Amino acid sequence: MNAPDPSSDGRIPVTILTGFLGSGKTTVLNRLLRKPSLAGAAVIVNEFGAVGLDHLLIETSEEQFTLLDNGCVCCTVRGDLMVTLKELYRKSEAWETPPLTRVIIETTGIADPAPILHTLMAETELTARFRIGGVITTVDAVNGAATLARHSEAAKQIAVADRLLITKTDLVSDEALRELRHKLGHLAPAVEQAIAYNGEVDLDLLASLPADAAADVIRIAGRFEAAAHHDHDCGPDCHHHDHGHHDTHHGIRSFSFVIDKPVAWNAFARWLDYVAALKGEDLLRFKGLVHVTEEPERPLVLHGVQHVFHPPSRLDRWPSADRRTRLVFIVRDIERETIARTLVKFAAIDAASIAAPVLAAA
Amino acid sequence: MPDRSADLVFTNGRIYTLDRNRPWASAVAVKGGRIVAVGEDADVAALTGASTRVVDLKGAMMMPGIVDVHAHLMMGGQAELFELRFPPTASFETLIARVGEAAARAPEGAWIIGGQWGSDLLPKLNRLEALAALDRVSQGRPVMLRDDTYHNRWVNSQALTLAGLSASSADPEKGSIGRDAATGALTGMMIESAAGIVERTIAQSGHYTEEMDRAAMARSIATLNSYGVTAFLDAAAMQPILAALKGLDDRGELTAWSVSAMPAVEPSFMFGIAGDELIALREQYRGVHAKPDFVKIFLDGVPGARTAAFHEPYTKDPVLGCCFRGSTIVTVPELIRWVGKCEKLGLGVKIHCAGDAAVSQALDAIDVVRSFNGPTKLKHHIAHASYIAPDDIARFAELGVVADLSPFLWYPTSFLEGHKQTMGEARALRFWPNKDLLAAGALLAGGSDWPVMPNPDPWDGIEGLVTRCNPSGEFPGASLWPEQAIDVATALEIFTINSARAIGLADTVGSIEIGKSADLIVLDRNVLETPAEDLADTKVLTTWFEGRVVYERA
Repeated sequence: MNAPDPSSDGRIPVTILTGFLGSGKTTVLNRLLRKPSLAGAAVIVNEFGAVGLDHLLIETSEEQFTLLDNGCVCCTVRGDLMVTLKELYRKSEAWETPPLTRVIIETTGIADPAPILHTLMAETELTARFRIGGVITTVDAVNGAATLARHSEAAKQIAVADRLLITKTDLVSDEALRELRHKLGHLAPAVEQAIAYNGEVDLDLLASLPADAAADVIRIAGRFEAAAHHDHDCGPDCHHHDHGHHDTHHGIRSFSFVIDKPVAWNAFARWLDYVAALKGEDLLRFKGLVHVTEEPERPLVLHGVQHVFHPPSRLDRWPSADRRTRLVFIVRDIERETIARTLVKFAAIDAASIAAPVLAAA
Repeated sequence: MPDRSADLVFTNGRIYTLDRNRPWASAVAVKGGRIVAVGEDADVAALTGASTRVVDLKGAMMMPGIVDVHAHLMMGGQAELFELRFPPTASFETLIARVGEAAARAPEGAWIIGGQWGSDLLPKLNRLEALAALDRVSQGRPVMLRDDTYHNRWVNSQALTLAGLSASSADPEKGSIGRDAATGALTGMMIESAAGIVERTIAQSGHYTEEMDRAAMARSIATLNSYGVTAFLDAAAMQPILAALKGLDDRGELTAWSVSAMPAVEPSFMFGIAGDELIALREQYRGVHAKPDFVKIFLDGVPGARTAAFHEPYTKDPVLGCCFRGSTIVTVPELIRWVGKCEKLGLGVKIHCAGDAAVSQALDAIDVVRSFNGPTKLKHHIAHASYIAPDDIARFAELGVVADLSPFLWYPTSFLEGHKQTMGEARALRFWPNKDLLAAGALLAGGSDWPVMPNPDPWDGIEGLVTRCNPSGEFPGASLWPEQAIDVATALEIFTINSARAIGLADTVGSIEIGKSADLIVLDRNVLETPAEDLADTKVLTTWFEGRVVYERA
């Protein structure tokens, strides 16, 4: 179907497909594009040279925009991404191409997805028409663990993902796959892992991406709470996730905060300025759902990627009865304690109201 | 067996080491420019070989070389060597006559640069008749004359032409170009940022060569050496300064340890690249004795011009009104970003704060950085730690911030008189709470801010720290907040080991200890026994830098 995602706000979702060289991004993209639900999607290949969607291409073309035989538009980015997105939108509005329902950006292997997210967050011309439709990172089951250990860029791609897609699973043993998934679980504890067999994805990957940011924060914070609860009831097989994994993960870690009392927005915004100024580079991704003192009925949704913050959006109402502020951090070399201390000191948050994630009393 | 004998041995001295574990000694031995023994004459005897030079101090006082935590070099040397000099009291006629003499000597097309005319002459110079007089004597040479505030310039018609200026030129932002009220013709007066248009024209013309820059820097350092200074921090090091220091060091001609603070933005009185662009070049200017390890940030102006940022308002002013407090020129988040960036690069930050609100803001920013980054070995400076809100005194020590004591204004001066006018007498007198800072555990470091002080003689500053009275005899009988006086031993620490710690050279300079650089000065008196009011008369007899004589009193 061509209708936009009903749970979204009418803006066109832009999904970033990333993953290291050889991790199977293009194969996945080829399979995805065969799905009838993806008619009306545009694919942006963020690299020069040959486009790997050979069987879908009608012919090689000098044109920047190529219509694929399933009705999708494919283009390569030659200049800046903003120009390309605006041009896609214009063509769709002018009926030069089928109505645009989704954009998928395939990055180069070593690409840092952050600059693409920055473009989508900060350019007001884009934010009115497009929304971030999630980051999918492919991880190759054969080489993934080695790549992860060697390249901090790979660890970062995984840490900032909204979904992990493990590829080439048919080429490894169940045990090796289990180990890899365990490793990924440490690095990106809140990220759901999907499996591809022979390039086929075992769930509707795009449909499974979070459509609204608030639900996303709640879901992730919930996972941390569940994990903390699990640790609390630590049995004989329990692993303490904080120890011994820093070396292989290049200092990347994730944590969350739950704050019981309402937050004074001015102080909190000041803290955000400080954290962006001093730790921006290492704040890989930050998501928040904030109970603001000034408007307790309407929580603020926050999203930051490094030093760039999406303008906070205000929900009309709380999604559930749980009105606690929830903050999720994916960071490199920032201690949880540093965040906690500075929140207390500069964001006027009462130390006693900051809880380590524990299971909600429901 | 290797030769253990020292290159140089001092005996029979009253050697004040500034090492609290061993304050006094009578002998020091030096090898390879480093101190290898400190003790009594008998202790160095074993190190005295056939080729060892032995210096009998004959009971004279020796101490480590002075460390100046805040100076602006080059300008002084440049003016002395290459520029036309006249006092701010010079009349218009004298000024014109002196330019005429200089023009007669100068090669055709060469710039004539001079200074400094008194600002009280400005209305007289800002007229077409004055410009015509200047043009008549300049013989076609371009002329630029600086004023005593260093903010404004008066130039001739040839200079205006070379700078591409004409009656149709617009005023620059934060500056103005003098014009005749009737015709709009330019008068040659360049106010504030307009001065930069001509300064840049000169710099781009190739007027200043690297050789001239090195010579000017060497002259400035020779002046410092003559007062016993063997290490300094240049508090606004633009590219020519960094290049001159590195050039001298590579030639073995740098006779002091130099630490440089690169401006985060182009200062109002110096021109060229600054900030990230300049900082990116720092490693190419690093030498054994040349260390571009700081960044300079100007947070406000000066109290006398009502440009310093205060918590309380200035006195009523016809233009600024009743309640003007001044303002800082960098926001807290910007300052935080700068300090954070500098810490990542391993650079200290020297923050110019003349008003108490600027001091608060700098401390606030450093507090934020410490809260996020944890402890650091880097030292950040608040320059000038002069007007400080009482609640901020303790924060210097808590945050590990250095109190940069410069220039020597901790006694009555004409600056203070200006502050009384803009701030009111009572507030103006709450200037330099040195004793309070000391009691609160802050690291106090002494500096001259030369050429804001007309010469960088630390003994003037040291006497003032102890007496809080003007050593020159001006303002007789008057003292400034005498409760803030400190003792001479502490004042000596402030100008040696404390400044060494502040500029990151505590392992190398600042005290006479084994392993440190043999930067030693011999004095004409024992300053610990000299009456306080005579301290400024102290003369340096010999200055040794790395065991070499770099100054000897005639």
